[in-house]
Amino acid sequence: MKSSTEGLTAKSGVIAGGAASGSDALLDVREIGISFGGLKAVQKFSLRLPRAGLYGLIGPNGAGKTTVFNLLTGVYQPDSGEIQLGAQRLGQGKPHEITAAGIARTFQNIRLFPSLSVLDNVRLAGQLHNRHGLLSTVIRSRGYRREEEQLRQRSLELLQIFELQDRADELACNLSYGHQRKLEIIRALATNPKVLLLDEPAAGLNPQEKLALAESIRQIRDRFQVAVLLIEHDMPLVMKICERITVLEYGITISEGTPADVQNDPRVIAAYLGAGLEDA
Amino acid sequence: MTRGTSSVGTGVVAASAKSEAAEVAVKGNGWTGLIPIAIGILIALVLHFALPAPQRSYNTQILQIIGIVIVLAVSLNIVNGMTGQFSIGHAGFMAVGGYTAASITYYGSMLLWGSTTKHGGFLGSGDWLFLGSCLAGGLVAAIAGYVVGLPSLRLRGDYLAIVTLGFGEIIRVVLQQTGPLIEDVEALRSVGLKQLVPPPLGGSLGFSGIPKYTNLFWVYSILTITLVVAYRLKSSSAGRSMISVREDEIAAQAMGVNIARQKVTAFVVAAFFAGVAGGLFAHSTGTVSPKDAGFQQSFDYVIMTVLGGRGSISGVTLAAIFLTVLPELLRDFEQYRLIVYALLLIIMMLVRPQGLLGIHEVWEMFNRRRRKAETSGSDVSPAEVGP
Repeated sequence: MKSSTEGLTAKSGVIAGGAASGSDALLDVREIGISFGGLKAVQKFSLRLPRAGLYGLIGPNGAGKTTVFNLLTGVYQPDSGEIQLGAQRLGQGKPHEITAAGIARTFQNIRLFPSLSVLDNVRLAGQLHNRHGLLSTVIRSRGYRREEEQLRQRSLELLQIFELQDRADELACNLSYGHQRKLEIIRALATNPKVLLLDEPAAGLNPQEKLALAESIRQIRDRFQVAVLLIEHDMPLVMKICERITVLEYGITISEGTPADVQNDPRVIAAYLGAGLEDA
Repeated sequence: MTRGTSSVGTGVVAASAKSEAAEVAVKGNGWTGLIPIAIGILIALVLHFALPAPQRSYNTQILQIIGIVIVLAVSLNIVNGMTGQFSIGHAGFMAVGGYTAASITYYGSMLLWGSTTKHGGFLGSGDWLFLGSCLAGGLVAAIAGYVVGLPSLRLRGDYLAIVTLGFGEIIRVVLQQTGPLIEDVEALRSVGLKQLVPPPLGGSLGFSGIPKYTNLFWVYSILTITLVVAYRLKSSSAGRSMISVREDEIAAQAMGVNIARQKVTAFVVAAFFAGVAGGLFAHSTGTVSPKDAGFQQSFDYVIMTVLGGRGSISGVTLAAIFLTVLPELLRDFEQYRLIVYALLLIIMMLVRPQGLLGIHEVWEMFNRRRRKAETSGSDVSPAEVGP
């Protein structure tokens, strides 16, 4: 049922990213929070991410950024608040259900499937909506073979877009670090997401690679019309590509706005440079 | 411009690139998938008619046991190797299947034909009863597999291993508590509830007198099906999902894999084939006893999967052949068998911890070597910075 509506609307107009008019947010997060024992890891986190928006999530180490990702993807269940994707409420879904609903993510410390090939890593993510079950797999029915072939071609196309097709048969663990980061993004895109969560994609990259990454994140947004939420410590990168930025400290949102707003917010400066500035 | 309804699904999607419209040509028709199985069954037929019957030839008997052991090892490999769940209760599933199949043919033949001797010739009515009983054994074992698979959703590693170990032992003890066999047709026909509780499965002496229907044809036909199913699983979306659970559960979930379902599926499929193998085993020796469910038996299969390489079907097959033939060759030094096993494992773990073939299949090893030779030196990637 869901997929049929998807197909219907797939070709209907797509709102251009950028202007975050409040009413038609694609991902609408309302005041979610979670505590681990007495520790309030994230409190009252809200976010309205429009279609094809490119937003940033920053904050000092331990501010709760990755916890927000884990809440959005169902790794943790929020204690309070609501998450809505389009018309669908995601509150208590399991991770695989949320991925199927259209939120995909990458991981801060790379989590590829090391002993699967590059192609298989992508195929695994792309097979999410496969219809053929165990029986047709075992008898290799015609429909099953067609589906597998489509999956293979789709995955190769995706690899080609990111210029990794030459390495399709290599094991994921044999890729260079930069390529592994890239493959993580490709794999997330293969699930055909509406929202893409990138957890520190620039970590460990050199300056040229960071530049290329910034460019490709923008291209991904445009080409796949996917909304991107980016966690990143590299400030120039975030300031350059994000339309709006949310700043977390100790699990609390201390600032939200355009890069310029955030950069000049005294609370943000205090969070990054130390509390002494509050007096100044 | 934007329609009111478009709030449901977005237009994400490289709609053009990913549209279903891209028709793909697929070779062959609906029957193509059965060709490998047909070939395997043909080979089984040839083996059956070319070689002497197992009852008359020691070598044929070994060949038959090898086939059954491969079915067990390869099916265990679906759980241990592909899905990465450490199960050491595989013999328990085999015993469940064996006892189920044995009781169907034993009591079934008695009721149908008045005696427990073999009935009908090749592919005669007795053979079909036997085949049905093996399938029933597989199904009952699969149900047991489902039950044992459930804890695997919450337990991992050592803890799951202990649960599966416990399962095998429970089966063994329960089988010891069963009642004596009913050996007389008249007694069977007039059996009351009293004799059925506990079920008459032979108790600690074991279930004996099972008609020996198993032959090379059945063993190698079922082996073919097992190998084909295992390979097709491994090389399909379904198998990739299982492997992803082994590799990284968190990443697998994030990619939309229902890990709970994958784990239970692996247990059910593996248990089914173990159950069928149990049926074959019971009808080859004519007896099946509680000790066949014990953990020592289970360990033999675990050793085979470890030795062969996790997830490698051909590797595990080779290991199963090797570890079945080896004790036969060492028959004169029976008492040293376990020492040889232990030494072998220690050496293996030191020299090749990933197993004989690692995660690869035999034919892949050759392909890889060739590809490496072709591409060596040609593609050196620019140095990239690590963290």
